Amino acid sequence: MKTMIEFTLNGEVVECLVDNQRTLLKMIREDFDLTGAKEGCGAGECGACTIIVDGKALNACLVLAVEADGTEITTIEGLVVDGELDPLQVSFIDNAALQCGYCTPGMIMTAKAMLEENPHPTENEIREGISGNLCRCTGYKKIIEAIQVVADQNKA
Amino acid sequence: MKTFEYLRPTSLKEALDILKNHDGNVSILNGGTDLIVRMREGHSSPEVVMDIKKIPGLDQIQVDEDRITIGATVLLNDLGLNEVIKTRYPYLAQAALSVGSKQVRNRATCIGNICNASPLADTATPLLALNADVHIYGEEGIKTVPLKDFFVFVRKTVLKPNEIVTGISFKQDPEALGIFTKMSRRKEVDLSTVCSTVMRTGTEYRISCGAVAPTPVRLFKTEAFLSGKTLTGEVIEEACKLAEGEVVPISDIRASEAYRREMVGVMLRRALSEWL
Ligand SMILES: Cc1cc2nc3c(=O)[nH]c(=O)nc-3n(C[C@H](O)[C@H](O)[C@H](O)COP(=O)(O)OP(=O)(O)OC[C@H]3O[C@@H](n4cnc5c(N)ncnc54)[C@H](O)[C@@H]3O)c2cc1C
Ligand code: FES
Ligand code: FES
Repeated sequence: MKTMIEFTLNGEVVECLVDNQRTLLKMIREDFDLTGAKEGCGAGECGACTIIVDGKALNACLVLAVEADGTEITTIEGLVVDGELDPLQVSFIDNAALQCGYCTPGMIMTAKAMLEENPHPTENEIREGISGNLCRCTGYKKIIEAIQVVADQNKA
Repeated sequence: MKTFEYLRPTSLKEALDILKNHDGNVSILNGGTDLIVRMREGHSSPEVVMDIKKIPGLDQIQVDEDRITIGATVLLNDLGLNEVIKTRYPYLAQAALSVGSKQVRNRATCIGNICNASPLADTATPLLALNADVHIYGEEGIKTVPLKDFFVFVRKTVLKPNEIVTGISFKQDPEALGIFTKMSRRKEVDLSTVCSTVMRTGTEYRISCGAVAPTPVRLFKTEAFLSGKTLTGEVIEEACKLAEGEVVPISDIRASEAYRREMVGVMLRRALSEWL
């Protein structure tokens, strides 16, 4: 069974006829070809699929595509404005906060939503903030530093 | 995941009609953090998925002078970060914020946590200690069931197929002191190995535990023993022994039965010692 939905995806109003059993993550990756968000666990444990829906960071693997109807969604691809990377993306590159990169889109979207809510987090708040995102490579230290750099820019 | 019909009612009446017309084959979709995982794993294959998030009025935490009501679609993050809940009922706020990750709590609801009726539901123990009531809408209108009578067994509640929970409320008791404890293998994004809320109002005590029985439970015998007593080291030891005997845990991947039993004593001892 399918349902027609309409929502805003990275600033553009889009329509889609989706299978009711499709997850939001599958729709974004396969129907819209936005493959930044990744499926790690498919069960809410790893955060690799994190996107921002109506201002909140969510695990796209735990949402049905039909539930996107009427919402405003930002994925990692939507952070680039006029070809310019988001300060978080720049900072992750400059601070070598990624190795294989699988966790990176989710990590950055989590950080993005966190900084919107709390522009000046402490190191502990950053650690807590990203605790729903697993990284198997970096040991987190560089990730925390990369987010801290952007938080400090917010202060200036 | 098997396919299903997706319906999104905009009133309780419409929701009830959908439940009636589909004869028990409807799954209510709230935040979906339990339901969608179960559907993916094939444990649940409903014909109809009814999304209740567009029913107006269910997303509020209503603070009245004598009662607080948590609406059916209130998110765990909104409950845990609510000023009144944080200041007057910090143990409830802590329980709400102990569930999953930020992303999970941005979607998961308190009512979903309760209706899912897992033995380890983290928000169940503070609400049991607060003597909360569950408000249920069905063909005869709204009825109220005490939370302690709502749970029947693992993942089973008294809810009938054409009933829907509109919210949970409890009598304001800002004087009550409570301590929520969650023991888990990992600090974040982990399920409780055991959890509990210990509450004190005057010289009365209320104790509830999760993951030590088929449902979250109150330890009424231990409470009766403590009632009216002045806390001393000896009284606390006696109470802990009683509590360890009052629970009926099982062994599973998270812990053994013996460990859980002992931790019930540890949690109670630590909490009561705060009030010596
Ligand atoms: C990664 C992860 C971590 C988790 N960690 C924890 C944890 O630490 N502690 C914990 O307790 N839980 C945890 N959970 C389980 C889950 O997130 C919680 O139980 C959550 O509160 C469920 O709420 P929901 O709104 O998502 O429920 P849903 O999945 O929408 O619903 C759960 C059940 O309740 C029924 N239901 C929902 N609302 C109503 C209603 N109004 N009337 C009647 N029936 C209703 C649904 O039909 C379904 O059967 C975790 C889940 C995930 C995926
Ligand atoms: S894929 Fe969604 S949380 Fe792991
Ligand atoms: S960089 Fe490989 S998982 Fe994080």
